[in-house]
Amino acid sequence: FGDLEVVLQQNNRHHECRFTSKSKHFIQRLQNVEKRIVRVLEVAGGVMDELANPAGPRKDLLNNHCGEFMQLIKDIQVTLREEIKSACEYRPFDKCDYSARLSSEISCKKL
Amino acid sequence: MADEGDMEISLDKLPIKRLEIIEESGAERFSSEVEYEKKTVNLIRRIDFAWALERDAKKQKKTKEASAPSTWQGLIENLQLANQELSVIVDLIKLEEARKAELLKAGPPLGTRLVGKLAEEGGGLVVVEANDAVTVAHMNRPKPLPNEALSDLAVSAATKLQSFRHLSKYFKQSAKSLEHQIAREARFYGALIRLQQNWKVKWHRLAANAPGSDGFLIDLSNNAALEQLAVSRAARFSVVRVDHDSSGMLAVNLPESSCRNFRFRFLDAQSGDGAEGFGKHTVEESSKEAKKDSVNDDDLIRETHTILCNAHRAMFYEQVFDLISQESFNPSLGVSVTGIRENYLELSIKPGVSAFISLTPYNEEGQVTDSSDTQDVDESSKGSSLVESEQNMKLLSGQPNYLVYEIYLQQLFHDKIFAKVKDHPTKPGRVQPNQQQNDAVGLVNHFCLSLAHRIFSSKVIMELENLVTKITYLQLISQPTWHSRTSSWVLSVKVPEALLNSKSQGWRSEEVHIKDNKLLFQTRVVVKDECISIEGGGAPNVMGLFKVNPEAMGSKNRFNCDLVDLPMVLLLQIASQIICWLHEEALMVGIKTKRDFLSLSLELEQGETLSLVAHVDSEDELGCISWWLTMDDGCTDERKLQANLPDGESSSRRFLGHLSLEALYSTLMDLVSLCTNGVKS
Repeated sequence: FGDLEVVLQQNNRHHECRFTSKSKHFIQRLQNVEKRIVRVLEVAGGVMDELANPAGPRKDLLNNHCGEFMQLIKDIQVTLREEIKSACEYRPFDKCDYSARLSSEISCKKL
Repeated sequence: MADEGDMEISLDKLPIKRLEIIEESGAERFSSEVEYEKKTVNLIRRIDFAWALERDAKKQKKTKEASAPSTWQGLIENLQLANQELSVIVDLIKLEEARKAELLKAGPPLGTRLVGKLAEEGGGLVVVEANDAVTVAHMNRPKPLPNEALSDLAVSAATKLQSFRHLSKYFKQSAKSLEHQIAREARFYGALIRLQQNWKVKWHRLAANAPGSDGFLIDLSNNAALEQLAVSRAARFSVVRVDHDSSGMLAVNLPESSCRNFRFRFLDAQSGDGAEGFGKHTVEESSKEAKKDSVNDDDLIRETHTILCNAHRAMFYEQVFDLISQESFNPSLGVSVTGIRENYLELSIKPGVSAFISLTPYNEEGQVTDSSDTQDVDESSKGSSLVESEQNMKLLSGQPNYLVYEIYLQQLFHDKIFAKVKDHPTKPGRVQPNQQQNDAVGLVNHFCLSLAHRIFSSKVIMELENLVTKITYLQLISQPTWHSRTSSWVLSVKVPEALLNSKSQGWRSEEVHIKDNKLLFQTRVVVKDECISIEGGGAPNVMGLFKVNPEAMGSKNRFNCDLVDLPMVLLLQIASQIICWLHEEALMVGIKTKRDFLSLSLELEQGETLSLVAHVDSEDELGCISWWLTMDDGCTDERKLQANLPDGESSSRRFLGHLSLEALYSTLMDLVSLCTNGVKS
């Protein structure tokens, strides 16, 4: 998951420089991805713990953990792929409203 | 869907390289090739949040840090000892080699002794062949004894388990610290996203190395305008850095005194010192509020928004100031610079009218507006509007209103330069500089001319209003021209409908009805750039007036006049129009009357004439048009404007006073009946 970390941070920075109409959703999805990564780490820790069990690892628990791990990784990959694809529709500062902002300030003063 | 044949698709395996950075311009950077193992190690290091842990560990007590078990330590020590002994052995072997010639004779016993010695060490076992040459043949694992094997196994198992535990702790700690980090960053990025909806946020790699900053910048500049006009002033704070504050939340720092406010004032206005700009005291307020503890995220973001708004506005002001100062030094303008200081420019627009523009920092205004400011940080113009409206009242008395011109100036520049540039983003900057410069020159010129026009037309309208208040049957309508250097008004005579005969022609087309009156005889006063022109005479087509269609004007005369002569001219015009009307009315009734410029005469028998003479006097307080009735018996030349003398020589006069139109009409009818009766009888 080191790779995913890299991609995630890059993605974060990229997204910050752009405005899409689904900003609330994608930031939410990225948050979910991050939470999943945390969960992945926890699961990995659990697996290691289990293996370190002096009584021998319990197979079913191991299986569950590994299954969860793989599922999470898959979800993360799917989400990130979607986000990266949608990230390609990038037009810099299309909706820059600086002059509109100035003119509305001037109008506000007129009031 | 028709399936014809098999389609084969083959994909080339493209080399997939991981992008490291993609820049704004689209250039891609690939990371340098790194060995796989190093890559994995690097990546693991990236999720190594040991640094975060150490930071947290200083605040919390280390309770979770488990001490390494003793076997682990013991194993390390054993290994170190073994390593030392191994190096001893290696030295020994070298020594032996150096003496091999001597030892050749010694033979096997030495060799075996050597082997025995080595076996005692228990480290890496070296089998020395009992040959003539003492060489290291190969290393072998000695056949392990049972108990040694078991203990070895136990040790290796224990180390494995230990390393697993270590790893699991590592993962769990990483998970926790990652969660912590995510929460911090979520706050930061959430705020950044909200800001990004309104401001241009850019990411610069080099700025990422600055302490406390992640490399995010907010670009406030209006780039297109800057490229073309090369305004250097405002670049000072056109890019604002986004920093992390103490709690990891984003903070935007701007020096407070760098934001200046734009002012346009007249030099001799009484409100010189007390004049407020649109006092943006919110900068000070926001700094006070930031010190409060219980500031939630929304408030922070709102404050940041206001800070950025202020900075953006201040940039615009600086650009406008720059442009104006650049252009006013051009000698071809109708305005001259009379004074200059830092951030202050004094202009003389025409003789007697002097104004200045200046950039003043907020601090000065903050002190004065404190008493009237509201606590509403968001609507920053509310607080200052109270102060301004008071001053507006003072200025309404006829002095030019500086606020209006301030706003007008800003709007002029904004519309012409900044908004226009937005429509041509693809044109190269070099092509248009001359035109842009000319536009800017034109703007200041235009502004000054408009200002001069406004001042002049306010005088004109004062005269007109003066007239209208004195004469009751006169009405003033102003016509918007949508041109800043032209103004026009229409004076018309309100004739009561009852007096009008519907059959009279000439001025019936498209009249205006107002409350049982009809508006006739429009006289149009047009002021263009301090030049007055009057159009009047007949009753022009009302619609034609609005369309400025010269053919529809009707029979008119048009002439120019001065401000001084204006009231007199208008009065003469109106009086003659009334005389016209009376003449028409008399014609309706069937009496032929003679019409002169200001008098209407009826003939009695015996050559006597009865005249209604109008007398105009613009200084008259009661009403400017007064009427005289004169009786003449035969002399023809003394009818005009002899009303100065209350006693005439050959005509007797009677002063009728200031008559309303009804009274005039009835007077006329009386005279008419007198005539007809006189004729009949």
